[in-house]
This record gives sequence, C-alpha cells and structure tokens, in this order.
Amino acid sequence: MVLPPFALHRPTTTAQALSLLAEDSVPYSGGTELLLAMRMGLIRPTALVDLKRIPEMQEIRTDRSRLLIGAGVSHDRLATDPLVEQHARLLAAAEREVGNARVRAQGSIGGNICFGEPRSDVATVLIALEAELGLANSAGERSVPAEEFFLGPYWTARDATELLTAISIPLPCAEGVYLKFQTVERPTVAVAAVRRPGGDYRVVVGAVGEVPVWADYPGVGEVDPVDLVGRTSPVSDLTGSERYKRHVTEVYIRRAAELLAESER
Amino acid sequence: MTAAQPATGHDHVVVAADVNGVSVTEPVPTRWTLAQFLRDRLGLTGTKVSCELQVCGACSVLVDGAPVSACTYLAADIDGRRVQTVEGLAARDQLHPLQRSFVEHFALQCGFCTPGFLMMAKALLDRNPDPTEDEVKEYLDGNICRCTGYEPIVAAVLDAAKRMRGQA
Repeated sequence: MVLPPFALHRPTTTAQALSLLAEDSVPYSGGTELLLAMRMGLIRPTALVDLKRIPEMQEIRTDRSRLLIGAGVSHDRLATDPLVEQHARLLAAAEREVGNARVRAQGSIGGNICFGEPRSDVATVLIALEAELGLANSAGERSVPAEEFFLGPYWTARDATELLTAISIPLPCAEGVYLKFQTVERPTVAVAAVRRPGGDYRVVVGAVGEVPVWADYPGVGEVDPVDLVGRTSPVSDLTGSERYKRHVTEVYIRRAAELLAESER
Repeated sequence: MTAAQPATGHDHVVVAADVNGVSVTEPVPTRWTLAQFLRDRLGLTGTKVSCELQVCGACSVLVDGAPVSACTYLAADIDGRRVQTVEGLAARDQLHPLQRSFVEHFALQCGFCTPGFLMMAKALLDRNPDPTEDEVKEYLDGNICRCTGYEPIVAAVLDAAKRMRGQA
C-alpha cells in the first residue's frame, strides 16, 4: 500500500531536469509504471524528477518533415490530437486502445517507452513508423532509432542520466493497421503492418516476446507469417503457452497483412 | 494556477487544490497517494482502494476532469488542480442523475466498485454526452465489478446519459 519515501524535484526546464538525474534520481511523469514498480519494491529511487512542469515536454508540433511529440504527452492527448490524427493516424489509433481510460489520461508516451515493458503498444507502432527518439544529458544530445532502443525486458538504450525529450516521426508517415489480441490489460500479441512512404512494407510483431521483431517486404503479398513468427521468442505466461502464442501470432500477422492489402484495393 | 512550491528536494510538499468545490491547502508527504490523502487526511472514504495496480477502477476520481487512479497518483500532483470524488456528485440531498440511475437499475450489489464506476461514467458523459452502448462498455472496461453487475451498470449509464441530455 505505502510507497517508500523519496524527494520530489519539480524542474521547469529540461536543463534543470538533466542536472537532477542520476542512477537513483529518476524521471517521473504519469507514474503509471514507476509508482507500481516502487510499491512492489522493484525500484527504490531516492528522488523523483517530475517532468510535468517542463512546457516543451508537453508539445506536439510539426517541424519541416517530421512530427515532434514531447515525451511527456499523455496517451489520451495523442489519441485525440488533430495534428497526430492528421499526420500519424496509426499512432492515434493505437493510443486509443492503450491500457484503460485512466492509464491513458495519466501515462505519458515517454514513460511508456522508457519503462521498456515488453507488451508496450507504443513500441510496436513507433518501430513501424520509423520514429527517432531524442535523448539528452548534460553533455549533449543524441538520436536513437526506435528500432535500436528496445534492448530487452525493462531495458532500453537510455542511460540513467539521460532524458527522453521527444519522439520524432518522419513525414509522410507510414500508413497501415495495428491489430492486437488482448484479454488482460496488456496485449498478448500486437502486430503493426504498414506501407512505407517508399512503397515497401513493414510488419512489426510486439508484446509476444521480450522485444519487438520486424521484417520488411517489397510487396504485401510477400509477408511470410511463418517466417516472422519464427523470429519471435514468445514467453509462456498466464495469457498462454509458448505454442499457443506462436499460433495466435501467426494468425494475427496473416490478418494484419490481409487487412492492409484490403485497404489498398 | 500553480501555487508557489519549494522547487526541489523535499519529502513534503504543500498542496493547494480544489476538492469537490472546497479549497484545501495542506502539507503532504511526497510518498502519499491521492487515495491516502482523500481518505486519511480529508476523510473522504468514498474513494475505495483495491487492486493498487490501476486495473480495477475502484479508486477512480477526476483531476481537472480527467479520470485517474487515486491509488497510483501522487497527492503532490493535485497541486493547483480540481479534484472530484464521489462525495462531490450529489447536490445536497439531490442525487446526481448517474447515482439515481444506478439505484433505479439495481446497478450495484455490494457497492464497493460503485464510486469508481460513477466517476468513470461521469468522465465519459462529460466528454461524450451521447455514447453508444459499445462506447460505454469500452470506456468502463478498466473497472471491475465482482458481483457481476455489468449489464445493469451499462444500462444505468445509458439511461443517465439520456436523462442528462433531456435536462440540458
């Protein structure tokens, strides 16, 4: 019931936030993942650095040929923002189905990504859209492709002293479908199948294994569900055995590819 | 909006918020959840705590109109904001249309989940006064009733929505 004690910092600029981050002084926004982990004793930071008072972390805007989303933007805003709907419809659609209405109101896209939960809806979609993740620390900034960000369960390319500042999606954005099978609060398997602006196709399979896997195809008819399932490493848990999940994954890849093909007819 | 705060490094913060129309200014430990603050400091025990995982919805309250799980939301974060709990729904002796509708539809048995369902339903109707049955089910799918009263609950919300549109 009770959270362990911690100090609360409330910086109003990114620079202030960066000066406060350390191994045990961690970024905090919606708390939908962090506070649960703290209550379970999995993480015990001495300080939380609240990012909600940093205005630029809450921005959604376009800049030349990119859609830029501040890491603090909530799922609910992404699900309903006109700019996101206009430029990245697949992200908006996936965001409408994240968790439940409370998680969507509280939780931020940046927190979702940085927590590295293997069953993240957002991770699967951002890889499909070839998003770039902007990371900053007091020494400077770097940009990491979403494809290279998710290293393992609850493990990402972000260093403890780094802050994810913004998610950058190239425009025009890939279009397609996001399909998931879900019986509890997170998906058992999630599939994003998109046609990329260059005319080829990408299928990303998330949630079923420790990290998302994906493959690119010249045509939607060439999507090979059996091969793609073979690249996943499903984890047996209460939502199903490994064998069952392989079967469901194959079905969902096939359905996603069919839906994408139909949408193009 | 934002009250003056010590910028950094304290394990207590002063929270100035509007709770059900009443201004509240209180120092709270940073580690306190909103549910603790409402129940233990303000005596507003209508907000229930159950799963503590943001899954069951029993602790749902509104902060600046948005539904949050009070069990997994820092009390510190209500500073400068407006909080609505189930105690704020009725106007004196006059039940809120949602409450009246829940009674009429027998949309509760033990009642433990009811405050959460009421607040989530309010959040839904505030942004969508005319939801379809599917939209109601979808929005309330993060709330659990173990007396299995879902059908009366959905019927009650739809009926309240109709009533509230009629009154408007």
